[in-house]
Amino acid sequence: MKKPISLLIILISLGAFLYGYRAYNKPHTDVASTEAAETISASAIFQAFELDDSSAMVKYSDKVISVNGLLIRRDLNNKNEPQIVLEGNGYDGFIRCGFKPEYLDKIIALQDSTYIHLKGICMGMNGSDELDLLADKDVVLSNCTLIE
Amino acid sequence: MVAFTNHSGGIFKTNTGNINVFSHTAIEDITADNHKVKTAFDGTSGKLQFSALIKDFEFPKALMQEHFNENYMESTKFPKSTFNGMIENIAAVNTGTDGTYTSNVTGKLTIKDVTKEVSAQGTFTVKNGVVNAKTTFVINPEDYNITIPKTVASKISKEIKITVDADYRHAH
Repeated sequence: MKKPISLLIILISLGAFLYGYRAYNKPHTDVASTEAAETISASAIFQAFELDDSSAMVKYSDKVISVNGLLIRRDLNNKNEPQIVLEGNGYDGFIRCGFKPEYLDKIIALQDSTYIHLKGICMGMNGSDELDLLADKDVVLSNCTLIE
Repeated sequence: MVAFTNHSGGIFKTNTGNINVFSHTAIEDITADNHKVKTAFDGTSGKLQFSALIKDFEFPKALMQEHFNENYMESTKFPKSTFNGMIENIAAVNTGTDGTYTSNVTGKLTIKDVTKEVSAQGTFTVKNGVVNAKTTFVINPEDYNITIPKTVASKISKEIKITVDADYRHAH
């Protein structure tokens, strides 16, 4: 009788170890292979955050979102994360999209003032009404991939 | 008499600043980076501000990032950390002349809606019109209502090192 119980304990322990090991080493979300939770225009997602930041956080943050928008500029100042900026509200609101460094060549090849379609993980809206130097707002997407 | 002209002045800004958070314990080192920090300073008054999205800190391991956001920082409820302060000796930072300048930076750091005074020495390196600012300071998570469960307390330091590194350009 002792043998089956010992075997059961070993199997349960092994299962728990494997579960823990897999959880500890689970990969980050692979945006390219993840279906977007929603497809939305740059102006619409900006408006959602501008109207109600808290509700938009609950609805969009941590989710892979597909966004269409007008490319205003490429921002290549941070070599760790090349970025592009899409028009949000036409004056002081933007969608800031960060890419892995391996996307640099594709980003350089983009043309300003063209419409871009991409996917990325929504992180929220940056900028603050309380900080006068940072009153402009960016809805931020990370780990973006271009949809061609 | 020699007249010195300090070409400081105007607003310097970036949306691609770096903040690194680092925890060291005997068991484990934990590090995370945010490369989309929005920050600006006024070259005349010395006012310095930054705003960083908590969810945008990327950890090497997805599980660490999940715990950081959901368990410790509650980042859906408290999405941003902000700093509002001053470069104390802005007159010493000549943004018009290449060189390296130092000044204390003091101000209010807000994390999880808790605001505390912080102070650190900043190094400002001007080169070809770009002002690189670097500073490092240490915070205690408990000061900002960040509760670390006892089960993982031995893996997370009570002194979290924050390193800021940003390249500012003149805002037009």
